[in-house]
Amino acid sequence: MPEATGTDAIVREVQIEASPETVFSFFTEPDKITRWLAESATVDPRPGGINHQTHPGGAESQSGPYYMRGEFVEVTPPSRVVFTWGFENEDIAVKPGESTVEVTLEPSNGGTLLRLVHRDLPASEIASHTEGWTELLARLADLVSELERGKSTD
Amino acid sequence: MQSAIEAIAAPRRRDILRLVHATELTAGAIAANFGDVSRPAISQHLRVLREAGLLRERRDGTRRIYSADPGGLDGLREFLERFWDERLETLKTEAEQEERSRRHARGNRN
Repeated sequence: MPEATGTDAIVREVQIEASPETVFSFFTEPDKITRWLAESATVDPRPGGINHQTHPGGAESQSGPYYMRGEFVEVTPPSRVVFTWGFENEDIAVKPGESTVEVTLEPSNGGTLLRLVHRDLPASEIASHTEGWTELLARLADLVSELERGKSTD
Repeated sequence: MQSAIEAIAAPRRRDILRLVHATELTAGAIAANFGDVSRPAISQHLRVLREAGLLRERRDGTRRIYSADPGGLDGLREFLERFWDERLETLKTEAEQEERSRRHARGNRN
């Protein structure tokens, strides 16, 4: 496995009781991407093809929507898909092409073991671009305050 | 983490962090960037940021000098980890549901 460059990658594994083919389609078909990751998606799932997604913004920061402008690097159904991950918005310091998400799908116990590695985030980005993390934290702040409003109306 | 979230909820405090993310400034120099905000209000913002672990303060004689605190940045990583945890949990639910409906559809055809 290649070394993470610059900063520690975020690594996540999850066991899914579905075939790799089914899980794979959730990364390459717009009507499936919108079921778990984005509000809308335009994709051309082949190396060099676009992976454009719109993510909703936070309610209180009056920011967003966020335009993720990625590009597919590798598309190998049903075992591996790699795409770049970055945002067009000026207030997010992760620019298009700057970080990479690698997804590997392996048959496991009749289902699929999904491994996601998000590289080139966030330490190098954080150190030089305050805007990026303050904006992300602001979105988190929105979420927290929504939760708290929900509680107080009980 | 909670106090960091509250600290950066105010746009003015985010502006202050941007000012000092690559340099050190005195409270006076920071205040000079915000002509419309009183000096006590700036001091209050600086206190909130410091208590949230987002701002470092050092003293030089009677002056207090501020810079962004990289230690407060751990929050972003947590944010992104949580982002993927939540999204992948949803993916699991949706993919398993999709699988069941596909199997169901195949079962009906056979």
